[in-house]
Amino acid sequence: MISTKKFLSSVCALSLGLSALAGCSNESASNSTEDGEKSNKPFELSIMATLHTPEIPDERLELLLEEKTNTELDIQWVPDANYIEKVNTAFATGTLPMAVSISAQELGTQFKQAIRDDQFWEIGPYLDEYKNLNKLKPKVIENTKVDGKVYGIYQGRPLSRQGFIFRKDWADKLEISTPTNTDEFYEMARAFTEDDPDGNGKEDTIGLSDRSDLLYGAFKTVSSWFGTPNEWGLKDGKLLPEFMFDEYMDTLDFFRDLHKNGYINKDFPVTSKKDQQSMFKNGTSGIYVGSIGDVQGLYDDATKLNPDLEYDVQNKVEGPHGEFGIWSIPGFGSIMMFPKSAIKSEEELKKTLAFYDKLMTPEMANLLLWGIEGEHYEVKDGAALPDASIREKLDREVRPYLSLEVGEPDTNGRYEGFAAYEIKAKAEELIKDNENYLINNPVVTLDSETYTKNGERLKTIITDATYQYILGQIDKKGFETAVEKWKEQGGDKVIEEYNASYKKLKNN
Amino acid sequence: MDNDLVVVKKNSTVIPKASRRTELWKRIKKNKFMYLMILPGILYFLIYKYLPMYGLIIAFQDYKPYLGISGSEWVGFDHFKRLFSEPDFWFIFRNTLLLFVLQLVIFFPIPIFLALMLNEVRNQAFKKTVQTIVYIPHFMSWVIIVSICYVILTLDGGVVNGILESLGFQKINFLLSDEWFRPMYILQVIWREAGWGTIIFLAAIAAVDPQLYEAARMDGANRLQQMIHITLPAIKSVIVVLLILKIGDILELGFEHVFLLLNASNRNVAEIFDTYVYTTGLQQGQFSYSTAVGFFKGIVGLILVMFANWLAKKSGEEGVY
Repeated sequence: MISTKKFLSSVCALSLGLSALAGCSNESASNSTEDGEKSNKPFELSIMATLHTPEIPDERLELLLEEKTNTELDIQWVPDANYIEKVNTAFATGTLPMAVSISAQELGTQFKQAIRDDQFWEIGPYLDEYKNLNKLKPKVIENTKVDGKVYGIYQGRPLSRQGFIFRKDWADKLEISTPTNTDEFYEMARAFTEDDPDGNGKEDTIGLSDRSDLLYGAFKTVSSWFGTPNEWGLKDGKLLPEFMFDEYMDTLDFFRDLHKNGYINKDFPVTSKKDQQSMFKNGTSGIYVGSIGDVQGLYDDATKLNPDLEYDVQNKVEGPHGEFGIWSIPGFGSIMMFPKSAIKSEEELKKTLAFYDKLMTPEMANLLLWGIEGEHYEVKDGAALPDASIREKLDREVRPYLSLEVGEPDTNGRYEGFAAYEIKAKAEELIKDNENYLINNPVVTLDSETYTKNGERLKTIITDATYQYILGQIDKKGFETAVEKWKEQGGDKVIEEYNASYKKLKNN
Repeated sequence: MDNDLVVVKKNSTVIPKASRRTELWKRIKKNKFMYLMILPGILYFLIYKYLPMYGLIIAFQDYKPYLGISGSEWVGFDHFKRLFSEPDFWFIFRNTLLLFVLQLVIFFPIPIFLALMLNEVRNQAFKKTVQTIVYIPHFMSWVIIVSICYVILTLDGGVVNGILESLGFQKINFLLSDEWFRPMYILQVIWREAGWGTIIFLAAIAAVDPQLYEAARMDGANRLQQMIHITLPAIKSVIVVLLILKIGDILELGFEHVFLLLNASNRNVAEIFDTYVYTTGLQQGQFSYSTAVGFFKGIVGLILVMFANWLAKKSGEEGVY
């Protein structure tokens, strides 16, 4: 017994000594690389990445990536659906890899605490040592901050893709011009329902199809048209949640009318995205509010059913106050963070960052997103056109790697996608145009402990009341009761905490 | 005299503990191979059922994944206090209990009826066909069942509302109402599980001695009388055991099923502990709190099983232990 113990402890001591030695040699090695790239030993890096495809990706791009960055990669692909579970398990068992991608939402809630408990490297001070990482947009970086410090490299997303897609052929037939304000929008929904836009003599169409999603469905976008703040807004110098603003009430009434008159699908609070889209594709509904980039996929499918169908897109819709605004996301979908449990030294961190710096060159960024030129895609008018005839191959070899992308086209210099369908090209332009009218969420970088702890639950109170009001199951008083309930169950505290945090940030 | 008798009685009934233990030991030694055979079973329960209970500790901690069970801060009963002081606690408790009572009162007797009826079918081919057909829904996932119901019941072109409308009735908003949630829930449970539930009852009925029926027929009992006076009493103990086990599952109402049916308009009747744990606990990464809620659920289940078992024993049945 004693001898085994002794043996074990001596092994431990030995390995400790060795690792210390290794640490030393690592240091000297990295020093020499910085001096003149003498050492050619690949750097070993483990990454946990989200997998959006059903299959494990092909290794080809990974091997190319390794070769070009002189790295030995160990990528753990985790399906999107149980990604967070996997991260938590790895956390609990101390087996986190050196780089972990965390979504914007989880960053705001679950991981704040872990970051405060010093589980991740703060990378802010190192960023300007890298010429590519240094290009990342300061405005977006600002949004990824926790307690004013930068902990990750973001993966960019367009700030606002919101707008609406509608049946151009229906509108032409009924002689309706593209709506530019909420009244015209309402009129279009009415006409598409009542004036028989498909000309079959039956009342079988509805204006707008929506789904069970107040955020990415129609509601939030329309609320922006009415001038509602994005989640939180300032009223007399005080931060208040959006549903305490009159504009939110206006939006509610707008939807309640749409619903009462049958201009929107009756069961929208339980409709899936798939059903919503198929209503729009098969000619049941004529308006689709949401991400206007969807127009390509919708058009591809819809023309198979009805070759004569035409779509158009629009972003600007003014509210009764005569102005247009549109809500925005913080500009990133996820960030790469670096756990201290896996990256032990500053040297290692610097090498890891150097890898991500390389990923931000146009060559690498194109490889990650489009694959190999000439094989997976062609360059056409300065944009990438993926070979549509090898869709399955693309899904297996290229698509998964997009979750490794760093930054966005503006900063990493990769090609934009080539839009063969002109309306899609228009949608891309409108998405850029949206950036002039953004309504930002002011609490993204602010902090409320109550919200972190109980936010999801509190949100449900308001989400439920919003649906119930639109369905006509509660009246104005009922909605106000729900708001009171929200306040009592912790909302008041959330308001207080956000305002305190806001003041602190402003004074700094 | 009296005193002496009492002493003698005491001595004869109370076997010293030590000797009882040695007796057990002797028995084990004698039948060691028999006992060896239950070893895999015991190991299974130890490793997969008892060992994980160690994790219940986190219900009393402020558990953080990166600190682990050994490193997380001990908070005692804080999470339980939070649960009981939650304003929604009682309405969630009520919903859970109500759904459970519905299952017990409406769903539970149905497989028994079905089994009794199947037993009366004389044509074997017909009986087997019916059995197969009623088993099939059990193998469908809730996602499919709920989606089918959605397609049938929706206001946007669903069949049921189409029929109602053509007959001149008002359309009914089945999906988005709190009145229709419970009927929908229990009907779906019946549709999926009633057939499957007959298996054990049919097996119990098959074990009834045919001589009893012959004797009854000699005495002039008709089919209904045979069913009531022979079949039912014969399977009574099976019914009781299953009832007790069912009560043990009190709070297992099927997270998946309820969660799929849950929406903004029926939350006040459809929110149960499982869905609450999901939204509050897991979505927000509050592992300790979720564990505490689960723990509480387990305790309620245990108490109810013990109560049901006690009741069964009182009324002369065997119970489960």
